[in-house]
Amino acid sequence: MFASIGLIALAMLVAPAFAQRMSARAAWLLALAPLAAFTFFLSQLPEIAGGGVLTESFSWVPALGVALAFRLDGLSMLFALLITGIGALIVLYSGAYLHGHPHLGRFYAYLLGFMASMLGLVLADDLIAMFVFWELTSVSSFLLIAFEHDKAVSRRAALQALLITGGGGLALLAGLILVGVAGGSWQFSGLSAQALAAHAAYPAILALVLIGAFTKSAQLPFHLWLPNAMAAPTPVSAYLHSATMVKAGVYLLARLNPALGGSTSWSAILITVGAATALVGAVLAIRQTDLKRVLAYTTVTVLGQLTMLLGTNTHYGLQAFAIYLVAHAFYKAALFMAVGSVDHAAGTRQVTRLGGLWRYMPLTGFAVALAAFSNAGLPPFFGFIAKEFKYAGLIELGVAGWLTIGMMILSNALLLAAAGVVFVRTFLGREGNYPQRPNEVGLPMWLGPILLALGGLVFGAFNNLAEVWLIDAAVQAVSRTAVPVELYLWDGFTLALLASALTVALGVLFYLQRTRLRRRLSLWRALWRVSGDMIWDRLLKRVFVFAGRVADRFQHGSLRQHVSTLVLAITGFALIGLLASADQDLVWPQRTSPLNPAALIGCVVAVAGAAVAAVTPGRVALVATLGTSGLGIALFFLASRAPDVAITQLMVETLTVLFLALVLRRLPPARTVGSRKPAAKRFHALVALLIGVTVSAMMLITVSQPLPGDLARWYLDNSLPAGHGANVVNVILVDFRALDTLGEILVVALAGLAAARLLGSGKPGRAAAAGSPEFDSVLLRQGMGPLSALLALISLMLLWRGHNLPGGGFIGALVAACAAMLLALAFGVERARRVMRVPPAIVLAIGLATAAGAGVIGLLQGGDFLTGAWIAPGGLKLGTPLLFDLGVFLTVLGAVLHMLFRLMEREA
Amino acid sequence: MEIVASITVGLLVAIGVWMLLDRSLVRVVLGIVVLGNGINLAVFSVGRLAGEAAAFVTAAGAPAAAANPLPQALVLTAIVIGFALFVFALAVLKRSWELHANIETDRITAVAEEPAPDLPPPDGSAAWRDRP
Repeated sequence: MFASIGLIALAMLVAPAFAQRMSARAAWLLALAPLAAFTFFLSQLPEIAGGGVLTESFSWVPALGVALAFRLDGLSMLFALLITGIGALIVLYSGAYLHGHPHLGRFYAYLLGFMASMLGLVLADDLIAMFVFWELTSVSSFLLIAFEHDKAVSRRAALQALLITGGGGLALLAGLILVGVAGGSWQFSGLSAQALAAHAAYPAILALVLIGAFTKSAQLPFHLWLPNAMAAPTPVSAYLHSATMVKAGVYLLARLNPALGGSTSWSAILITVGAATALVGAVLAIRQTDLKRVLAYTTVTVLGQLTMLLGTNTHYGLQAFAIYLVAHAFYKAALFMAVGSVDHAAGTRQVTRLGGLWRYMPLTGFAVALAAFSNAGLPPFFGFIAKEFKYAGLIELGVAGWLTIGMMILSNALLLAAAGVVFVRTFLGREGNYPQRPNEVGLPMWLGPILLALGGLVFGAFNNLAEVWLIDAAVQAVSRTAVPVELYLWDGFTLALLASALTVALGVLFYLQRTRLRRRLSLWRALWRVSGDMIWDRLLKRVFVFAGRVADRFQHGSLRQHVSTLVLAITGFALIGLLASADQDLVWPQRTSPLNPAALIGCVVAVAGAAVAAVTPGRVALVATLGTSGLGIALFFLASRAPDVAITQLMVETLTVLFLALVLRRLPPARTVGSRKPAAKRFHALVALLIGVTVSAMMLITVSQPLPGDLARWYLDNSLPAGHGANVVNVILVDFRALDTLGEILVVALAGLAAARLLGSGKPGRAAAAGSPEFDSVLLRQGMGPLSALLALISLMLLWRGHNLPGGGFIGALVAACAAMLLALAFGVERARRVMRVPPAIVLAIGLATAAGAGVIGLLQGGDFLTGAWIAPGGLKLGTPLLFDLGVFLTVLGAVLHMLFRLMEREA
Repeated sequence: MEIVASITVGLLVAIGVWMLLDRSLVRVVLGIVVLGNGINLAVFSVGRLAGEAAAFVTAAGAPAAAANPLPQALVLTAIVIGFALFVFALAVLKRSWELHANIETDRITAVAEEPAPDLPPPDGSAAWRDRP
């Protein structure tokens, strides 16, 4: 089963390439995927028809009990055959229908993607997996409706469909989670009906699940989106919006009927909503003159009737459900495709301009005739059996059924009239006034309609076939108890037959009087003016306006307000945490280490430098004080026995000052300090003071407690034996926590690439264009050349020895960057680039590849990604961590130089 | 020593936030650096400062009072990442000056903002209808 979904998904992936390479023939090839799946399901038919089930399961999120569990039973089989069978025909049809369309490949991909998701939906046994597929069908439906996205109508219809079905999807997710919790299982097949019915949340479950199903299946009042979705190309309407996707809601109801369907509220809601939907759809259908819209509204009617039939939960009702599902899929897909063909051939779908098409398009006409008969419910077609069973099902319901049977007769009569419009008015009678001379369409376009229409006839005439292979198993899967299934065309003179006769008489009357009927209906102007679409538009506008107002509150565009809100919120939360820990005994005087004079000086310098930077207006002073502050930090690190960190800080501080100096000289000085308004200034000072005090308090409380765990000891003990390095900090970086480091250099690389793009955006400076250096001094050049060479050498040495002594990739790279910087300052960027030979961006890329590649070696040796692997040729210990460190070196060097050179080239 | 470090961190954070709240974007960018330094110091210090020797080991084993190596490793990369972030912020600052000739925090959005394409105007007066 999973393989069939995978196969179709695979076809989706290759579709665009195929469509580009071999145009029309691609459809034949791509249709093979659904056809293969169809054949697979056919081969399983004996097993399933005999009452068996097929299951497959893959672990997905075991911690949450979510699995990719699939289960093929009668109901799934019915749907799977429809999806793959009609799917194959639709792919074929689309190839011809959209022949020469520039985005045909994309269309195939969307269509096949939908097919795979829909197949997953009906096969999934897991609640969550089903939901994921459910949403995927909504998304692919969105893409297909918006296929002609240059048209505003398409975009609007697509958005409407997505919002309605997506919104329903949210409700469904909540409902399914409740079902899982209350029903004691996350598989449909394991749900306990008793537990669900007894659970306190049953009403909520019912409401949420029904909203999900009703939005998807376009039940009143969510039916709006379906007729609008006809903006999609016709194959989409035929497939998604009549035969398959819209039935997903009905499928879910059927799937959950055994578990949820016991209550009267279930039946009452389904029957009421279904009946109302059926009637409204039928009335609206008669009002239309566009053939596609006629069919769209009749689809709404059918969905309403299916919902209604499920609600009955009677033997006949459930049989009618299964029969009608198949009958409708057959005839409606055929009719849609045929209408598409008519549109294709005659250039219009307007009923008023059509007529007498039979002589031009006999094959399509033949298909439409068969399908329309089935649609109208005439014997011996499958639609007739469906109609008989529908009536029998409602009669079986008793008094409640009698109330609804009137609705059913009325909507069926209107359906019959609509079928008359589609066949008689279009294909028979006087020749219409076509925009273009029609011709019969090609084989791919008439094959589908004819096969499906014939299917309706065959299943009707030889109904035993359908009963044994399809309907029986499906009905058993839907029903709560075993249902005896027996299909027949003729059961003597029954009440159902009487209702049927009434329907036909009424339907013919409606057809003959359709113009008058339409005019009558148009008289209720007030009613049509309050169309659902208008309400929808107003609602959406309100939502946007409201959202805009809310967003304006927060997105006010003032950075300072954002920052102060954020800081105050953090302070607030931190203070709550502090209060919670206030009962801890604060014993820090005993637990802290003795005062370290050098570190103390570092602290004082860091704070003093920063404080001056905070209030000084001049640019040079800013750069200088900030640099001083950084040096203070470096001193603190050095005094705290962290040589690697101290060197890093020192090198970074040097580069920071350089970058600052290069950028700041182009900007105006920051003359004022803080805000202009004294009140704002005081407020900002208060905010800063609050967060400072809070952070200090947090730190003090933290260090008053003993350091938990002995992670430090573990690293110290294992560094040499496991990591082959004496410099524990470096071993942590390139071996124990190398994955972190890989992520970090990736961040550095990305920031470097992005910043370089922005830094290099201005006009090239004149001096840089001429290739002359920043400081044109002979003396400087004499000194800088050898110095930078020496620095470059030192950087390589730092890199090499980093595993055992202070140094490593980060430090080495920063020193090398300083060497290149000196070179660029003294001799110009042009010269520095020449000395480098390789562009910094390439160095960066090679670095990332080296670091990642070093990780793969460990993987190849059977360990995890980035596991260290060592060799010792001639006593020289070499390992992948060293290679990884080289990658770090190259990445950081490339990133820094990439930014630096870009900046210096443009800013000189 | 931890107490001094804690107070230093608080001061650096306060100064950093004060700079972030400045009117000039230049000082805001520098505020990021000061704030970053403060946070690095915080991460480093909560690993405790009791170490009396750097975290280097010999074949004989690690010194008994070695400094905690883990925060050192974390801070080392944080410094480099902080630098990359700083340069990026600097680049944005420079670009903003080139495009809008403005580096005042509250006026940037006013100068740079363009209305979103698919939304109704905030007052809701003009009709939003995506129909031909």
